[in-house]
Amino acid sequence: MNPKGNHNNQCNHKEHGTFKIGSCKRKKIKQILGVDLDNKPEAQPIDLDKITSPNREQRAHGTNIYYGKASDLLKDAVNQNVTMDERRFQQSGGCVLNFYLAVRVSTIRDAVVIFNAPVGCSSSALGYRELFRGVPEALGRPAEYKLNWMTTNLQQDDVVYGAGEKLRDTIIEAQERYNPKAIFILTSCTTGIIGEDIEGVVDDIQPEIDATIVPVHCEGIRSRLVQTGYDAFWHAVLKYLVKKPEKKQKDLVNVASMLSYTWQDRLEIERLLGKIGLKVNFIPEFATVEQFEKLSEAAVTAPICPTYTDYLSRGLEEKFGVPYFLYPTPTGFENTDGWLREIGKYTGKEEEVEELIKEERAKWEPKLNSIRNEFINISNTRKNGEKLQVLGALGQGRLVSQMPYFDELGLDTPAAMAQDFDELIIDELADIIERNGDFNLMVNTFQAAEQANVTASLKPDLTLTCPFQGGSWKRDTQVTRIHSLRGDPAPESAQSGYSGAVAFGEFLLRAFQNKAYQKTLSEKTKPAYKDWWYEQEDPLYFLDKELDDDYALSK
Amino acid sequence: MSENYEKIQKEFFNQPTIESNVDNLEQNSVEAPRYGCALAGVYATVLGLKNAVPILHSGAGCGVGNLFGTLYAGGESCGVNEGGTATPCSCLVEEHVILGGEDKLNNLVDSTIQLFNSNFYVVISGCVPSLIGDDVDSIVEYYEDEHPIIHVNAPGFKAHSLEGHNLFWDAVIDSNLLETQEIEKGTVNIFGVVPYNHVFWKGDLYELKKLFASIGIKANVIFGDGDGLENIKNIPKAEYNIVLNPWIGVRAAEKLKEKFGTPFITFPGVPVGAKQTSSLLYRVAEKLNINKDIVNDFITEKEEWFYRFAEYPGDALILCRPNQYFAVVADTAYAISYTKFLTNEIGYLPDIVQITDNPPLEVRQKIIDEINNSLESTIKPDIIFEADTYKIRNNLNNRPFAFLLSSSLEQPTALEEWGACHVSASFPIYGNAVLVNHYGGYYGGLTLLEDLVSTFVGPL
Repeated sequence: MNPKGNHNNQCNHKEHGTFKIGSCKRKKIKQILGVDLDNKPEAQPIDLDKITSPNREQRAHGTNIYYGKASDLLKDAVNQNVTMDERRFQQSGGCVLNFYLAVRVSTIRDAVVIFNAPVGCSSSALGYRELFRGVPEALGRPAEYKLNWMTTNLQQDDVVYGAGEKLRDTIIEAQERYNPKAIFILTSCTTGIIGEDIEGVVDDIQPEIDATIVPVHCEGIRSRLVQTGYDAFWHAVLKYLVKKPEKKQKDLVNVASMLSYTWQDRLEIERLLGKIGLKVNFIPEFATVEQFEKLSEAAVTAPICPTYTDYLSRGLEEKFGVPYFLYPTPTGFENTDGWLREIGKYTGKEEEVEELIKEERAKWEPKLNSIRNEFINISNTRKNGEKLQVLGALGQGRLVSQMPYFDELGLDTPAAMAQDFDELIIDELADIIERNGDFNLMVNTFQAAEQANVTASLKPDLTLTCPFQGGSWKRDTQVTRIHSLRGDPAPESAQSGYSGAVAFGEFLLRAFQNKAYQKTLSEKTKPAYKDWWYEQEDPLYFLDKELDDDYALSK
Repeated sequence: MSENYEKIQKEFFNQPTIESNVDNLEQNSVEAPRYGCALAGVYATVLGLKNAVPILHSGAGCGVGNLFGTLYAGGESCGVNEGGTATPCSCLVEEHVILGGEDKLNNLVDSTIQLFNSNFYVVISGCVPSLIGDDVDSIVEYYEDEHPIIHVNAPGFKAHSLEGHNLFWDAVIDSNLLETQEIEKGTVNIFGVVPYNHVFWKGDLYELKKLFASIGIKANVIFGDGDGLENIKNIPKAEYNIVLNPWIGVRAAEKLKEKFGTPFITFPGVPVGAKQTSSLLYRVAEKLNINKDIVNDFITEKEEWFYRFAEYPGDALILCRPNQYFAVVADTAYAISYTKFLTNEIGYLPDIVQITDNPPLEVRQKIIDEINNSLESTIKPDIIFEADTYKIRNNLNNRPFAFLLSSSLEQPTALEEWGACHVSASFPIYGNAVLVNHYGGYYGGLTLLEDLVSTFVGPL
């Protein structure tokens, strides 16, 4: 379908765990971009003796602030020159705990989450009892399940005198109340600053408690990069929860599912792998504790988002010998082909996978082609045949998986936005640039003003937005969501695999059929920011180089 | 309307005295309490003021966390231009813990003023600056000559969100924003309704304003109506302050009395249905010396309308579900109003009332008396103060109630767990988009009746 083909599949002599793309592709990238991926920084081994993971800043020189050519960022990353400057203006884009962990971990079944924090840090988890209720039982939701969380509700006195005893009492209370299989402890800014000894309490009390206690270090202040929360969580899962395999299950595939992937994405992944006799172990959202314990038994850990899954995948391989791959992910046809082939390799299903791809493509390709033709029709009538331009992306993982998919749809992506960028996706970014050409890349974590500025200056034909963006969706152009959410059972909300690629394509087409809500509200309500902000062209206008020097000195 | 009832109102809520609530709030570990932290309460309050922008001096998650925990929870509202991920935030990390966060905040205030289409800035300090000892007041003082800006110190470990709302008023009244002005006859300010935490705040305040206007009283409802800053600046003009809550907003009214001499009256909650609403209107009209004929005419007209409409579901009520036991799980104000409405207007039987907002200990007996002494039923409910969702759920087991008015936390399983029809009536409500829907006033009372009957009605 993509005339350029995917070198990933044609030339795949990859050195396991180090490179995600083959050596001849690396050679080609060196020729075109002058970037030698063989010199990229080594991934650090995972040290489970430590109480937590390193921050993404240390682990992978991550940043949450960049605007410029993707190829320049790639070069900086290979040379370890990526910087993270301070902003003079910043918006509440999220911390390691909120919402990266708070709203996810509270959906683990048969467990209790204890927020060791003042009462506010857990309020984002208040939806816990309703989150997956909208999924009909006919689509596989269990009729009965229990989700529990508590907060230690830290008070002024606890801050002054310490809260170890309170945590200890809360653990005992949680065990008595819920008889859970695991008790997760999520830490906060406050426990970090007052220096609570969480491990001391856990070591002391664990012998009296049936549930496995899993302390997760997600103090909001520990890192500028919210993605540190992923690593911190997986570190705790690997350290405390995953058991030695009782037996290896050759037909079991681990998949880390995310907030931004819907119930239908799960069904599509289960459908595809089910056709070749494989089972899926979806963690962490809405998983049971047992599913975590058995992560070590799987044949392979497969990604739907490389940056999310990275730490878990490496850890499972280092500690339990579960192989993994991090690229590609099952978004779009080419990538889904590649994703299935990788899984086929680790499960001895190579032939079945080829058969499956053939079957699926025969079924879904005509539908994708007709969506592409629709987009061509729109571009013919509106833009004299020039490709429609789409702006959107979310995490760095979605960035690298979605751009090739947009290409399959015949959409142009002159620029993209990502929440974060770090060395973990060097190979993927190089691959994208090689496949799609260079593009402008904006890196920020939910910085609504910067996104509003970029969108205003680029004027894309279609803007894809995540809901949490402070009114920047109000525009006189086509705007729709970039993804739905986990509890959404509607078939139209799928994006993964072949049926998902078709569903999302049809969904994107709808954005061109009516823009009344966005357009009307842009006319009838005032914009968030003053006019000068939209008129000037630098989304990083408030970048603070000076502060960054102070920051560097302080380190 | 019942004269006895009106008398009781006056007796119990004439002169409450509340010094500081902070020390009395329960401090235990709990499951899913139905409130956030002090910062969350101030944040919700500021977002309820049109054209105001909250500036969080805190970790980077305090805004987006409250998008989920306050705004979505408050009737599935989004953050609009200033909330959630759009909220200016100093996003403090370890470096600031070591070096201080003051420079970052200073830059943030400066850039926010440059950038935002707004006229009022509220710096809200969370846990981190409080723990590291940032001098936030000095930074705010630097800007206050040129711009309307205040600082509210609201670390999460200091208090919960409803007390946070009180902290906001403390800061406003202690600031230079309010100036002594000539009293404008026939005007009142409304206190005690907390944006988002009182999920129906938008509709309740909209109806109250219209009701008061109908009898010639200009009500400054402050939130969700007109320019927020202007509303706040108009506060000293009022002839009376009206607090629609047994404890939230009471301290503000006391301080305003001290500072500007404005008298105030309290009412236990936003009135729900004709009896409570008429009672409130009579009381306020009496205080403001409004022409009695105007008030009587208006109330007569509204009550005729109300009770005519209340008759329509009569067959469904009397044939299918008469004299039903009901349970209420809500914050103090809503709990009182709902319990009275269902008992005194629908003839239902109060089984259990659980009050979830942790009111200060010294007002708890008054709250219990307020409920018990105003009910027309021969049975009285068990009244429990409980913030812990685990205990709240257990308290509902093995009881006769067939209707449950509570948060949407109970909604999905109310029928299977307790055999109860459920109405989402208190925070958090994720399951309903709440724009204009409300249970306050005459119109709102009928809406509650409508929602209640709709839970069981079908072909008869």
